[in-house]
Amino acid sequence: MPPDALALSGLTVRHGGVLAVDRLDLRIGRGETVALLGPNGAGKSSTVSAVLGLLRPHAGTVEVLGRAPGDAVRAGCVGAMLQHGGLPGEARVGEVLHLVRCSYADPWPLDDLVATTGIGGLLGRDVDALSGGQRQRVLLALALAGQPPLLLLDEPTSAMDVEGRRAFWTTMRDLADRGTTVVFATHHLHEADAVADRVVVMAAGRVVADGPSAAVRSAVAGRTVRFTAPGAATFDRVPGVTGATRLGGTVALATTDVEATLRALLADGVALADLEVRGASLEDAVLSLVGGAR
Amino acid sequence: MSPLLVFQLRRVARNRQFFFFTVLLPALFTVFFTRVFAGTPGGVSPEQAAATMVAMMSYGAIGAALGATVRLSFDRASGWLRQLRVTPVPQTSVVAVDVAVGMLLTLPPVVVVALTGRFVNGVRLAPGEWAGLVGVLWLGSAVFVALGLLLGWALEEKAAGGAVGIIGTVLAALGGLWVPVELFPSALRAVAHGLPSYWYAEVGRAAAGGGLPPVPAVAALVGFAAVFGGLAVLVARRRPLTAVAG
Repeated sequence: MPPDALALSGLTVRHGGVLAVDRLDLRIGRGETVALLGPNGAGKSSTVSAVLGLLRPHAGTVEVLGRAPGDAVRAGCVGAMLQHGGLPGEARVGEVLHLVRCSYADPWPLDDLVATTGIGGLLGRDVDALSGGQRQRVLLALALAGQPPLLLLDEPTSAMDVEGRRAFWTTMRDLADRGTTVVFATHHLHEADAVADRVVVMAAGRVVADGPSAAVRSAVAGRTVRFTAPGAATFDRVPGVTGATRLGGTVALATTDVEATLRALLADGVALADLEVRGASLEDAVLSLVGGAR
Repeated sequence: MSPLLVFQLRRVARNRQFFFFTVLLPALFTVFFTRVFAGTPGGVSPEQAAATMVAMMSYGAIGAALGATVRLSFDRASGWLRQLRVTPVPQTSVVAVDVAVGMLLTLPPVVVVALTGRFVNGVRLAPGEWAGLVGVLWLGSAVFVALGLLLGWALEEKAAGGAVGIIGTVLAALGGLWVPVELFPSALRAVAHGLPSYWYAEVGRAAAGGGLPPVPAVAALVGFAAVFGGLAVLVARRRPLTAVAG
């Protein structure tokens, strides 16, 4: 059996005294499209960096297609878009692309690569003259230059406009259909939902949910009912509620069934001052997942 | 040639300021200083003309060596080194290419100023002396390549750019490249003897005179190269090139 695309075991990453990734176990098979979803500080970037060999884990092991991270990168098995990656000044786009393609044994044919990433008009352009969205497209072309079997993307769409995002994810779907393993970190729930077959939700350096995107969506796609209630009343047992938090006088209930929750609250005679019902934010969703895991 | 070396050379070649400050300016200074001495009583001796040329070859080479290698810190700041790290290009060749680029770029100032000395100022040396002069200044520039790598590695982008300008000026002024050390007061002369730039020009002057490089000068240059190189390795261990500021 060929090795998994990614096998992390007990991965622990510290930045100074801060624990960024906490004994993370994760396996990703070949051909999967996986979103690493989580709020800022969840440990997504640290995980990606460890997989790419950019940082040395404090503990645990990382295997990329059965190899150590550095070996996998040097063998041309991995392409990556980094959150803090960049392009060199005083260079033309075509020169940068040529340099990176040369480093791979079997580079993606130039014409097709340029067409796929939509950088046709940019090859003669100075890198310093690119817009934010254009830079991201060039960085994508660099990530794809070696036709790598595994793509790692850390917040790849953060500098893109809506149209750019749509085109980007269409490209990713095409690559996934061709058998490329795509792993991307994001804090956009809808991106994870729309693109990934599997969503791994991270919080505080650990996996709090892992499953097919539909399952995770239903777990996190709840709503939040918020109102002001005095005293120390608790609402954990109200129908539909998956998590309750209180901040001063404000109560926030994460619920999978807004109607049932509200009916029950009204039947109990709770005064719903300052009532507000919203879609759950990712933070809410993660909170409810963390709550559910307890 | 490695694709990375070609790529890096092409980037520097695009920088006109670099060539202005490291090649054109020293060549102009060579002519200017020689004309100034020519106006003094007694005029300019062939030895003075040769010494001025050697000083400006050294000045240009130091500027080129520092300017070429400190670019490392710009590439780290832009995230390019981090990006390169996730391609199959080995990290060791990134550093090796920067050393090679630094060594190659010291050649244009050395050669252009030598040609200026020969054809504009009429400096006459035997063919073997010319070869020896260019050879020792080229090899000796390794000291400043090591210093530039150290600065590029240790400092942030903006600090590194400024530091190279200031350190280059200090090395030139106090090392006796602009005004000969013989004209320095004795305290300042002692300072000059503590700088690699003084010993660098000293091996150049010896080579132009047809002699072997003096042992103290060679020892000083080897010592400085070892210290700068050692410190650069220490800094590199503590702070990988792929690290992002902050």
